[in-house]
Amino acid sequence: MTQPLLSLRNVEKSFGTVRAVDGIDLDIQENEFFALLGASGSGKTTLLRMLAGFEIPTAGEIMLDGKDISNVQPNHRPVNLMFQSYALFPHMTIAQNIAYGLEMEKLPRPEINQRVEEMLGVIQLSHLAKRKPDQLSGGQRQRVALGRALVKRPRLLLLDEPLGALDKKLRGEMQLELKRIQDEFRITFIVVTHDQEEALVMADRIAILQDGQLLQCGSPHEIYEHPQNRFAADFIGVMNFLPVSKSGGALVALDGSTIMAGQNENLPSGEAVAAVRPERLHLGAADGDNSLSGKVSATAYHGLDLQLHLETPLSPTPIMVRLTADAAEGRPLAIGDDVTVGWAAKDTRIFAA
Amino acid sequence: MNDRKPIYLMSPALAWLTAFMVIPCLLILALAFFRRGIYGGVEYTFTMENLALVFDPLYASIFLKSAWIAGLSGVIAVVVGYAAAFAIAAAPARRQPMLLFFAVLPFWSNYLVRTYAWIVLLNREGLIVSVVQALGYDGELPKLLYTESAVVVGLVYNYLPFVILACYAPLSRLNPEIAEASRDLGGSGWTTFRRVILPMTVPGIATGFVFVFVLSIGNFVTPALLGGGQFQMIGNLIYAQFLTANDWPFGAALSMFLIAIMMGLLTLQTFATERASGARREES
Repeated sequence: MTQPLLSLRNVEKSFGTVRAVDGIDLDIQENEFFALLGASGSGKTTLLRMLAGFEIPTAGEIMLDGKDISNVQPNHRPVNLMFQSYALFPHMTIAQNIAYGLEMEKLPRPEINQRVEEMLGVIQLSHLAKRKPDQLSGGQRQRVALGRALVKRPRLLLLDEPLGALDKKLRGEMQLELKRIQDEFRITFIVVTHDQEEALVMADRIAILQDGQLLQCGSPHEIYEHPQNRFAADFIGVMNFLPVSKSGGALVALDGSTIMAGQNENLPSGEAVAAVRPERLHLGAADGDNSLSGKVSATAYHGLDLQLHLETPLSPTPIMVRLTADAAEGRPLAIGDDVTVGWAAKDTRIFAA
Repeated sequence: MNDRKPIYLMSPALAWLTAFMVIPCLLILALAFFRRGIYGGVEYTFTMENLALVFDPLYASIFLKSAWIAGLSGVIAVVVGYAAAFAIAAAPARRQPMLLFFAVLPFWSNYLVRTYAWIVLLNREGLIVSVVQALGYDGELPKLLYTESAVVVGLVYNYLPFVILACYAPLSRLNPEIAEASRDLGGSGWTTFRRVILPMTVPGIATGFVFVFVLSIGNFVTPALLGGGQFQMIGNLIYAQFLTANDWPFGAALSMFLIAIMMGLLTLQTFATERASGARREES
């Protein structure tokens, strides 16, 4: 097996008595688009700053191409960071901003000019090369920040909440744009984000961080369909949780009915929760191994789908049902209606309570 | 531009400045074109002699000397003050107000008292001489008080807090990620300072320098006390024309020339600051 590009070995960082990063092991391969996903305070930004060289780990090793870089100064690492605030140099033009990193490498002027021009083309800002950053829109500044880091052709490009400051529509476009650029340059990207949708759309692999620890690492599909615990299930997407207790190998719900789960699920003993995604619930009980009935307490129309909130004795909080436009049009629903929904045993997940 | 601003709120200040600043300045300007009376006083006949006299080598050299001392004080104050402001801006945020308070503390005592204190320090039996002799040096010490250096020291000391405040403002507003970005892109600490932090804080430096220069070039208290009448600065010359030589028209001409220099510098500084702050957004 080939050596991973980046290896974290039990990396820790403490600030006073607070452990911001608490023993993380992670391997990241060449050309991967990797996402560090976590809520604020999860340690994801501290981890990123250690990779860039702005923080030194309290313990552990950061290996890049097999060499420990934990104590290497930021200006001596083949790693570049795209800052959340973009941190463009306001007194320099766009072209000067992009050239700065190449000037630091003491490259000959003609090569610098050529690479800056190329990069301006990639980020589609050639016509604004002589502008200052404060004469650009947010989306344009974001592209300059990307170009300024990318032009150095780093081994590793770190992006701190790269799309956080953009509006929703632009964010969607830039997600695909970032993926395209990553593919074209064949540089490993590590994106820090709190936006799970962003992580799912862009990343080849996602690591979920919580309280400085690695909760789960895997492909977007694995993370979404097979969360390892209740927190991960709740953090990514929407999940309905039904309290159950295990009795004689069967799962008994609050109303005494039995819930069927797939063969592969390891059943914990005693109290547990069964979980099912809203889009796995279908109207009517006929086509499922499980069913539950409830009263519609709210509806939310989203255009491409209709979301129902069902009050059911199986759960203390209303459960969410996501109906496609087709299914919703087949049967008009109003608040107060009694509805039965069913789902397949293979779509049930079981977690410790 | 149709939003109405409450301009009338400016009228008390404008009235005050007009009555006690603009009109006196115009009076002095007018005075510069009249002849001196035989027994002092003013004879109201038009003449250009006073203005011509300003450019007489004797007086021009006093102007140059004053500009040299003011410029030197400005440069020293900026170097020392910028370093101090940099250190304060780099200190933990909660300690910065206290450090600034200490930097400005000397301002709260009287200017004359502060300047007299330097006489105590610098004179022949003063603290500095005593300390050096107590350390075992018994050779001849250079004269400290009543020298050009003493005047520069006094001016730098008095105006340093201005420079610290002027430089602290842009330094404390810098987004720390900008310096980090320079480091991330391969810049050393020194390169980051020279190419990113320094250019971004030029407005503070310019403001600090012009402040010290303008306040120093017309100063007459510090040269009188610490220069000891060994040499004159332009402020002392003007003082003498009005109060001892009784040549008000010539004093007025000197004053006008001094005011013109200050106005020129302040205008330049305003332009420089605006340009550096990169204001003015062009339509895209």
